Amino acid sequence: MRHIVHILENDFRNFFRYKWWLVGLISMNLADLFIMAIVYNRMLKPEVVQQIKSYFNFFAPGLTVTGLFASAFMIGREVNMERRREVHQYMLSLPMTRFELAFGRVLSGGLRGMVYMSPLLATCFAFVGPPTPTQFLIILIVLFFLAMGISGLSIAIAVSTTSIDKFVTARGLIYYLLFFCSSVFYPFSLIEQLGREGKFPMLLVNFARVNPLSNASDLIRSFLLGTPPFTLEMVISVLVFSAVFTFFAAFAYIKLIERA
Amino acid sequence: MVIMRAIWFVSQIAFFGLIASRMVAVEDYFRYYVGGLSVMTLYSAAIFIGFDIYEEAEHGVFEYLLSLPVTRRELVLGRSIGGGLRAFIYVGPLMCISLYVIGIANPTNFLLALFSLFLFAFGISGMSITLAVVIKSSDRFDILMGVLDALIVRLSTAMYPLSFVREANPIYGWVANFNPVTYAADLFRWGTGIESFLSFENPLLPLLGIVLFFAFFMFVGIVLYDKSIEGGGWQ
Repeated sequence: MRHIVHILENDFRNFFRYKWWLVGLISMNLADLFIMAIVYNRMLKPEVVQQIKSYFNFFAPGLTVTGLFASAFMIGREVNMERRREVHQYMLSLPMTRFELAFGRVLSGGLRGMVYMSPLLATCFAFVGPPTPTQFLIILIVLFFLAMGISGLSIAIAVSTTSIDKFVTARGLIYYLLFFCSSVFYPFSLIEQLGREGKFPMLLVNFARVNPLSNASDLIRSFLLGTPPFTLEMVISVLVFSAVFTFFAAFAYIKLIERA
Repeated sequence: MVIMRAIWFVSQIAFFGLIASRMVAVEDYFRYYVGGLSVMTLYSAAIFIGFDIYEEAEHGVFEYLLSLPVTRRELVLGRSIGGGLRAFIYVGPLMCISLYVIGIANPTNFLLALFSLFLFAFGISGMSITLAVVIKSSDRFDILMGVLDALIVRLSTAMYPLSFVREANPIYGWVANFNPVTYAADLFRWGTGIESFLSFENPLLPLLGIVLFFAFFMFVGIVLYDKSIEGGGWQ
């Protein structure tokens, strides 16, 4: 456990080296909420207003999840850079087991995401309304598991290539697919409707349904706004995503950096 | 960068544009959004010249450029136009996708809109160069560009019509009214025939706005380049 704490300390120091980047990211997130969401609020169709009431309130939980995603994904960039610069040889020489090293990296990526997301979640509670203590605990647990899964996903991509271009391309593809093919920006019913009309592939509709970003956003909305209704599927989807990618990333990290 | 922008652009059209058009009560929002998206992409590509300035300073290329037998004015003008043209080359294929989706109603209008987009890209490159030589810290420049990007693009008509921006907040509407991104986005829409929700009646007014924007950053860029860089000023 002590060794994992060392890994956490190292990764958090690196995280705060990007403070300018983080300030930029937060201001973009806040501009999305306080400018874009407020303008979209005025543009909604009456039937959408009936469903979500206010776009600002609808979007605030989604924004929290996108912030978590972006910051938890940053660990992949560092792992990829370490592999390119062969810092991983040094990491492997540290007096700790491979599992501690790998799990420590995934955990620190997830915790960094939680730290970054906290002010966004607080803003969401301040404007949309606070949850009950039990709901708050569930939200934190689900978001923590989501952050672990995202961190694992980014590490798995990062160790599978030494090329920065390939990493950036893969990251872009995953980033935008998970962001835009989800209910972060719009209600899932609209995606479903496009699918029924044949204007959107059913494969992508199903992807949006199981997308952990959709489920985490909808979980917060279900507690704060009462819509969509809370289902166990929301929690299970995030937990499965997290379990798969945490262990896959730890395994890939150990195997691939040893081979490299 | 080109691939990243292309992925972002296509996913914006295929997902956000398509689904958001079902959410909002703006007629033909999909085409409206695709028009604005092209200008947003051009803006973010033209900004990149500022990051090159830091790389050049780091590698000592700056001193080499200053030693070339060209005037400072030619140097700034050349870099701004080069940055703008490069942005156009990056964004060109993506714009072709936009035009395929939107179509062109009037070729003459479109040529005028394209000319204004060139000036817009040169102006943005000039702004990026000006800020880079004033700030002289890549970290601070990075954050300022992030904040500017967040504010300039969102407080414009790139994503939504001006009437809704004004309705949401009069201050937002006022800023959007004097924003070069608004001029470029609406001129591009006008050039491609998307005439509902335009923020102007006479296209010469936004064109004049873009010419002034370009001229201002060119002038300020030349003055600041001279003042900030000469005699090892970068250090």
